[in-house]
Amino acid sequence: MPSLLGNIFKGWAHYSKGVEEGGHHDYEHMFAMVIDLDRCTGCNACSTACYAENNLPVVGEDKFGARQAMHWMRVERYFDEPDMDKIAAAEETDTQSRGASFLPMMCQHCNAAPCEPVCPVGATYHTLDGLNAQVYNRCIGSRYCANNCPFRVRYFNFYDTAESWPAPMDQQLNPDLSVRSKGVMEKCTMCIQRTRAARDTAKREGRALIDGDIQTACQQTCPTSAIVFGDLLDETSAVAKIWKRQQVKLGTYKQNKENPDLRGYRIFEELNVDAKVLYLERVREV
Amino acid sequence: MSSTKIDRRNFLKVLGLGGAGAALAGCDMPSYATLEEGEEQVFSYLAPEEYVIPGIGVWYASTCLQCPAGCGVHGRVREGRALKLEGNPNTAVNRGKLCQMGQAALQTHYNPDRIAKPRIGAKEVTWAQALAFIKAKSTGTPAWLTGAISGHQGVLMDAHLNASGGGKHYGVEIVNAQAWRSACADTIGDAQPDLHIDKARSMVSFGADVLGTWISPVKFMADYGEFRAAPRGVLTVIEPAMTLSGANADHWVAARPGSEAAVALGVANALATEYSVSTSALPTGVADAIFTMTPERVRELSGVDTRTLSRIAGTLMSNSPSLVIGDGSYENAVAAMALNLMLGNIGATITPGADLVPADLAMRDGSTKALANFAKNAQSGDIQAAFISGANPVFTAPDGLNMKDALAKIELKVAIAMFEDETTQFCDVVLPLASPLEDWGTHAPPLGAARGEIHVQQPLMEKLHPEALGLGDILLGLAQDAGAAGLDDFEDYYGYLRTAISAMIGTGQEAAWQDVLQAGKVQAPATQRSFTANGSLTINVPESKAPGKGELILITTARQGLYDGRHANLPWLQEAPDQISKAVWDSWAEIHPTTAARLGLKDGDYVTITSADGALTTRIFLYKGVHPDAIAVPMGQGHTHYGRYASSVGVNPLNLLGADTDARTGEVSNTTTVHVQATGDNRYLVRLMDIDRQYGRKLTATISADQQRRNQSNKQGGA
Repeated sequence: MPSLLGNIFKGWAHYSKGVEEGGHHDYEHMFAMVIDLDRCTGCNACSTACYAENNLPVVGEDKFGARQAMHWMRVERYFDEPDMDKIAAAEETDTQSRGASFLPMMCQHCNAAPCEPVCPVGATYHTLDGLNAQVYNRCIGSRYCANNCPFRVRYFNFYDTAESWPAPMDQQLNPDLSVRSKGVMEKCTMCIQRTRAARDTAKREGRALIDGDIQTACQQTCPTSAIVFGDLLDETSAVAKIWKRQQVKLGTYKQNKENPDLRGYRIFEELNVDAKVLYLERVREV
Repeated sequence: MSSTKIDRRNFLKVLGLGGAGAALAGCDMPSYATLEEGEEQVFSYLAPEEYVIPGIGVWYASTCLQCPAGCGVHGRVREGRALKLEGNPNTAVNRGKLCQMGQAALQTHYNPDRIAKPRIGAKEVTWAQALAFIKAKSTGTPAWLTGAISGHQGVLMDAHLNASGGGKHYGVEIVNAQAWRSACADTIGDAQPDLHIDKARSMVSFGADVLGTWISPVKFMADYGEFRAAPRGVLTVIEPAMTLSGANADHWVAARPGSEAAVALGVANALATEYSVSTSALPTGVADAIFTMTPERVRELSGVDTRTLSRIAGTLMSNSPSLVIGDGSYENAVAAMALNLMLGNIGATITPGADLVPADLAMRDGSTKALANFAKNAQSGDIQAAFISGANPVFTAPDGLNMKDALAKIELKVAIAMFEDETTQFCDVVLPLASPLEDWGTHAPPLGAARGEIHVQQPLMEKLHPEALGLGDILLGLAQDAGAAGLDDFEDYYGYLRTAISAMIGTGQEAAWQDVLQAGKVQAPATQRSFTANGSLTINVPESKAPGKGELILITTARQGLYDGRHANLPWLQEAPDQISKAVWDSWAEIHPTTAARLGLKDGDYVTITSADGALTTRIFLYKGVHPDAIAVPMGQGHTHYGRYASSVGVNPLNLLGADTDARTGEVSNTTTVHVQATGDNRYLVRLMDIDRQYGRKLTATISADQQRRNQSNKQGGA
C-alpha cells in the first residue's frame, strides 16, 4: 500500500506532534474559559443554571451524602488560604477574618485529559472544538474515567433518574440534549448544545463564529460576570486576550511568566493535563 | 359525494371540513385551505401556530417573582413549554443576570405539588361555588395579606379594598430592608435612595447582606462585579454571623449580635479622632453619641478591638468614595448613614431615588411590622375576612405572635396560592393561583423605579392547570364584584393591563404594545426626589451584653436560596449546597469552635435549642464565621405542609422567636436568648465538602491587594 505509507510519511510532521505543540488534532476551535475568583461571590447561580440547562437530576439527601450528586458545576468553599499562610500566622486566627474562598469547579476540558485514554470503549474523546466529550450511548459505565480525573468532575448515574422529574416537572427538560440513564457517565459539556446552535446559526447566516455568539449557561447567568467563555484560536476573543495577558499558554506545564504577580493559574498545572479553564486568583487586602 | 373518487387528499379534506380531523392525528390539523387541489405544499401535522417553529426556542420577556427585587427575565419557550430563564439584558436592575432563585422559578411553575382546583375545606369545588361561598361568608371589611406587591396588582388591590369599605393591606416580608429604609427616611428624607456600589472604592456593611438577600441582590452583585474591577474596591463586613456578603469581604469582623451600631459609631469616633473628619454634617444628637462611643465602650458592647476600628476607619479614608450600609436594626442603619454623612457619600455613592408617576404603581414593601399588626388586629377581632396570597404567615410568624390563634379569630380566610402550605391548612377557601410564568402583571422593582422602570410580566406558556387563575384576574373580579368604579369594561386582567399601559405610553397601537412586551418593561415617568437633612435625629445604641452563663444569642439568618422558606419546595435549591456551610436538604446551627468546645460539642452533634417561646433540635456546624456569643440557624426549612420536597426537612428557627418589636421601626426582632443542650446524638451533616482546607494545594489561590495593585499599574493583570 504505497499510497497509505506515502500519506503517513507525508503527514508525519503533523501526526507526530505532541500535546505541547497543539497535538495532532486539526482544531477548528479551542473553547476555553476564564473564571475570576475575585469577582465570584460563590452565590451558586451558575450551578442552578446548569441544572436547568443540562437536565441534571436531583438525587436527594442520602445519595448526595453518598457522593452521587450530579452537579456538573459545583461551587467549592474553603476557609483557608495557603498562599497567605505567612500573613495569617501573624494575625489572630480566631475569626474567619478574610471571609471564605469560593471555587466554581467543573470539567476543565483538559487537552491532555487523563480520562480519555483510559476509556475502554472510546466513549470519552476530544472533539475538534477542543472539548472533552462524552458519548452517552457508547459508555459502558466502567468509571475508569472518573477514577482518573484529578478534578473529580465526572458524575456517574448510579440510579435511574426518572424520579427526579415527576410530572409535570419533566416538561421543563431541555429537548436539545438527552436525559442520561442509569450506568452512564456524564459531565460538563461547556453547553455543547449551545455551541452547536450557534455554529448552525453562523453557518446559515454564511459567516464565521464570532466572540459572544456562544454563552454557556453558567457564564450567562453569573451575576458578577466572573465567567468568560470563548475560542482561544480566535485572537480577538475576550478569553484569548485574558489568557495572553495572564501569560498562560496551552501545551505546557511550565508557565514562564515575565510578571509573577499575574493572577492567572490553572489548577493542578503540575499534572500537565493542560486544562482549559484559567482561574484568576482571589484578591484580599491584608 | 358518491361520485367523488376517495383518495387520501379528499379523505383528509372531508375530515378537515367535518371537524373530526383532530381525531386522526391527535394534533392540530392543517386548515383545509392548504389541502385545496393543486396546492403542493405539505404541512406537518406538528406545526401548531404560525409563530411556533418546532425545534426552535423563542425567548419572551417577563418578570421574575421569586423575591421582591423583581428582576427582568427572558424565558425560552419551545413547543409551548417554558424551558429556561435568563436575565433580561435590557433592564437596569439585573442587566441580563439572574440568581439561583430566579433560575429555579421554573420549578415553582412545574412543581408537582401545585394546587389545581379550588377547595372549600377539604372538598374540591368549582370556581363558581368557591366565589359564592366567599360572597355569602364575607361580612365586614376584608383585609389583604400579601408579600411585597407593586404595579397594577397593587392598584387593583386598593380598588378592591376601597370598594368594600376600606379594609387594610398587610404587606409581609420576613427578609426585608425596613430598618435601612426607616433610617434613610429619617436621616436624608428618602426611604429608598439609589446606591452606587460600582462607583465606590470601599464599601462597609453593618449587618446588611448586600450580595445575598438585601433589596435587590442581583443588581448589587452586578455592581459588585464592577466594584472589584480596577481600581479594586475594598469590602468590609461587620456582622454576628457570616452572610454571603461577609464571605466575600476583604475584612470580616464578628460583632456580638445587636452591637453593629456600636462598631459603626466606634469607627466614626476613630475617623473623628484619628483622621480629624468633621462631624458637622451630622445632627447634634448623633454627633454626641459618636463621642460617647469610645474604643473601650465599643469593645465592651461588641467585642471588637481598637485596632479593628482603626483599620476600618483607615480603609474608608484611603479608599474614597465609600459607601456604608446597615440593616438588621434601626440603630445599625442610622449609624451607617452617620458614617455616610461624615464621609461625604451623600450625593456621591448615595443619590436620591425617584417617585413613579402614577405613585400607586410603586412597591408596597413588606415588613414584619405588618405581620405583627395583622396578628394583633386579627386577635382583637378587627379582621372578618382575610385574603392571603404570596405570604405564609403561619410559617414565617415568630412563635410569639400566636398566628394560628389569630387566624382562628378570622371568620373567612381565603388563600390564593400555588401550593398547599402551613397557612392554607387554616384557610376556609383555597383558590388555585397561576404561576408567575402563566400570568400577566407589572412590577416596580425597588431600584428600577429610580430609573422609571416598570417590569412587565407576561405568560410564557399555557396554564398547566386550566382552573388556576392569575392574581390580577382574581383581584379584578373581586374589585368588580365589590362595585369598584371604572373597572366594569374589562373582561380580564389582560384587557385592564393593556389599557393601563397604553395610557402610560400614550398610544394604544398594537406595534407599541408589542414593543412593550418585547422589551419586558415600560419606561414610566418618575419625579426625582431630593434629600433633606434632619437636625433633630438621635441614636440610642442598644446595650448588647454578653449572654449569661449557659446562654447564647440565637440569630435567624436568611440565605439566597431557600430565602424565607418559600423556595424550600424547589428541589434544585434544596440540592444547591448552602453557600457557607455547603449543607443540603437539612437545617443546621452554626457555632464558633471555642463555644462548642466550652459546651463540649463536636461537629454533627444534635443539640436542643430552647428559648422562652419554643425548642427545636438540629445538628451543629462548627466554623469561625460566627460570633462566639451567638448561635445562628438559617431560615427556610422546617415546613410541615409544603409539598413532597419541603415537608419534614429541617427545622424552622422562627418558632423560637418572641414578639419583641423594635421601638422605632415596629419590626419583629430576629434574635432571642437561648439555651443549648446536647442530645447525645451525632450524625454526619450531608454537605458538598467534608474538608474546609486545601492542604497546600493551589485550588483557590489568594494574592494580596498590594500585588494586584502592582499588576494594575502595569496594566497587565486586570481581567
